Amino acid sequence: MGAMKHMKKETSNMPDWLLETENYIPESDQDTFVNKSILSLLKVIARIKSQDQEKQAKLQVNVTLHVAFTFILLILLSLSRSFIFVIVINVYLLLILSAMDAEKIVKILKVSIGVSFFTFLVMVPAIFWGNHFSSIMITSKAFATVTAVGILSHSTKWGTITSAFKRFMVPDIFILVLDITIKYIVMLGEFALNMLYALKLRSIGRNKSKYTSLSGIAGNMFIKSKEMAEDMYQAMECRGFTGEYHVYYKSRFQYIDYIYLIVNVAIFILFFYFQNI
Amino acid sequence: MHIPDNYLSPATCAVMTTAMVPVWVKSVRKMKEEIPKVKIPLLGIGAAFSFLLMMFNVPLPGGTTGHAVGGTLLAILLGPYAACISVTVALLIQALLFGDGGILAFGANCFNMAFVLPFFGYFIYKFIKDRVRTEKGEYVGIAIGSYMGINVAAFIAAIEFGLQPLLFKDATGQPLYCPYSLSVSIPAMTIPHLLVAGVIEMIFTVAIVAYIKKVSPGTIYDGAKQKTNAIYGLIALLICFTPLGLLATGTAWGEWGTDEIKEVASGGNVLGYIPKGMKDGFNFEAIMPDYAISGLPEVAGYILSALAGVAILIILFKVISSFMKSGSKA
Amino acid sequence: MIEIKEVYYSYSEEVALNNINLAINKGEAVALLGPNGSGKSTLLKLMNGIISPSRGTYKFNNEEITEKRLRDNRFAKELHQKIGFIFQNSDTQLFCSNVYDEIAFGPRQMGISESEVEKRVEDCLELLSIDKLKDKTPYHLSGGEKRKVAIACVLSLNPEVLVLDEPMNGLDPRTQRWLVEFLTRLNKAGKTLITSTHNLELVHEISNRAILFDETHSIVADMPTNKLLEDVELLKKVNLVDPFYKR
Repeated sequence: MGAMKHMKKETSNMPDWLLETENYIPESDQDTFVNKSILSLLKVIARIKSQDQEKQAKLQVNVTLHVAFTFILLILLSLSRSFIFVIVINVYLLLILSAMDAEKIVKILKVSIGVSFFTFLVMVPAIFWGNHFSSIMITSKAFATVTAVGILSHSTKWGTITSAFKRFMVPDIFILVLDITIKYIVMLGEFALNMLYALKLRSIGRNKSKYTSLSGIAGNMFIKSKEMAEDMYQAMECRGFTGEYHVYYKSRFQYIDYIYLIVNVAIFILFFYFQNI
Repeated sequence: MHIPDNYLSPATCAVMTTAMVPVWVKSVRKMKEEIPKVKIPLLGIGAAFSFLLMMFNVPLPGGTTGHAVGGTLLAILLGPYAACISVTVALLIQALLFGDGGILAFGANCFNMAFVLPFFGYFIYKFIKDRVRTEKGEYVGIAIGSYMGINVAAFIAAIEFGLQPLLFKDATGQPLYCPYSLSVSIPAMTIPHLLVAGVIEMIFTVAIVAYIKKVSPGTIYDGAKQKTNAIYGLIALLICFTPLGLLATGTAWGEWGTDEIKEVASGGNVLGYIPKGMKDGFNFEAIMPDYAISGLPEVAGYILSALAGVAILIILFKVISSFMKSGSKA
Repeated sequence: MIEIKEVYYSYSEEVALNNINLAINKGEAVALLGPNGSGKSTLLKLMNGIISPSRGTYKFNNEEITEKRLRDNRFAKELHQKIGFIFQNSDTQLFCSNVYDEIAFGPRQMGISESEVEKRVEDCLELLSIDKLKDKTPYHLSGGEKRKVAIACVLSLNPEVLVLDEPMNGLDPRTQRWLVEFLTRLNKAGKTLITSTHNLELVHEISNRAILFDETHSIVADMPTNKLLEDVELLKKVNLVDPFYKR
């Protein structure tokens, strides 16, 4: 009986509507959120992938030094009350920037100009209230800060940055978590990206319940992430992982590192010099 | 709500980071307790999830979009402690790789978004859920929890901003960091969150929890069985005391005019003392006289502007030629 | 119906499509063959308007598809209705909380009446023999069931062209056989089929024309499927099969 029914289905014709060509003229709908989400995911994935392929530059400053001095530079910038010091640092960072590839320059400047412009907008009312000096100061500090971080993250592989953390007493486990996170942002991100593409391809008219679609995607992403975590844990266990993880980190000093060191000591001295004027 | 650097003073950043340390330690311990073995992958992948969640654009009326933080959502899904760690890692990656949120302000950002937001949101959710034991009650809890969570976090951020001009001024009375006082920063931060961001957060959280409950209810964190009130009381207390802590440390920096001393001192009196050690220990700023803009020798000025000119020209040249190249390819 | 002329596409630095020329007529069944990473999936994405060519032209029904035109919401939606894309990983395609809603998602957007939507969904469920799954959650189905639901939810849009990315992947032999027959029926009913696949055993059944990509991301052969399969030397040359491959 079941087999006969099955046979009948196989030979039955397609439904009529499927044989006709659809005469469909779509209504317009405001669903930029899908495109915007796709765009931001694409950006994130591209950034992490390019970060991972970062070529070791010929003159590569020791990563530990670079991380440490970038941090110190940020503190000095934040503490400084001398506009000249901030300008000197901005020029110094622009000089470093000018030695980088055009592509990276564009990427770094996009962020730093974006942040400083935003800061400027936020500070505009303060300017009218007579705080023009500090407003300009904060805007230029913001530019220097974001550029300094941009230079660090665009000239160094993520993996090397995290392993340099080891020098600063960051626990190994935390470094492992950071590395896993980066990897899974790409994997889960690609998964979410494909779901958004699928949503886009099937969103051919007016979607009355956008939140339902979006929560379906985010919800699936969560369930998927739980599954991935489970799988990864089992795989790690099979390879003998017991919760201990050791980061191995080697570093050597090159002549460029001494130059870098001298430059940064000079910055330090400048800071106090200008602070005392 | 990602605070960039230079909006908050380094002192504030240090205080906020210090306040986060016990939270992080506690969270890691809790994670180890609650999950039978050290499930490191869950932390990493949870962080990846939380990072990606912030990438989702949510439709708003009128065709515009906004994005959710998802702190309360993560707390409901993974538990507040795991949410704290996950958001922390996500924020670190955002700050380091994407320039989103400051490095020095990292502790403050964590305090607002990885601590206050998930814990407070989760507390409200749990509070309502435990009293109204129906499915409806649970969803009401999720809605109110996520709405309150993000708004309280925004409020705390506003306090951090608003205290800056009060605490950190130069000798001429110009604020050194965020120039807006509490009367400006609180409405500026809270009104958009009350009206827009909070609503997004609420709808997004409810919709996702509803979906996951329907599809795969077993994956949701089933909540701590023990009494939560004591811990949360402590946390609430901590939240209340942090601004006071800020005031207290602020006095150690010696950056006020005579008028402010009274205000600050009264703030310090509430706390009962002004930390002397800090006052004496780290006050090189206090020794320094007023700064001046003029003070750069003429020659140095020339050199500086020449260097800037060269750097900018090289950058322009490289950028333009890269655009020309990609232009001819297409 | 599909006309692709001198199309190039690259992901930042990496070339993915290298001077592609291709014309596909209504009612054809075309297979895209080639080693991993040779550009098949990129071409499918391009046909669906997910990406647009860096250089060259892509025309669908005599209308040029450009990035600018795709930004026009209505135009893009019209294209998406006419071309149905079945993703390689069915998980990514399913985001509703039950199978019925999943299949109804497309028709509901088209503004047709709910009773008409119901008819379409029921027809699709029957056509793919998945009536029993109607109220289930897509996420927990088996791989084969997921693939069927994904196909059903694309079919319910009644597209003119069906684009399938590795549809046989991860299916058991019996389900593969079922899919082959189902696709043949769709083709006989007038649907244009474009399939990318690595399955050399079944490819001649789901296509009568084969397009072969090589590792330089360009098309090296465009001929009847049976003929291409006989040209073992060519298949070896593009590294699609190992040196010891025999037909």
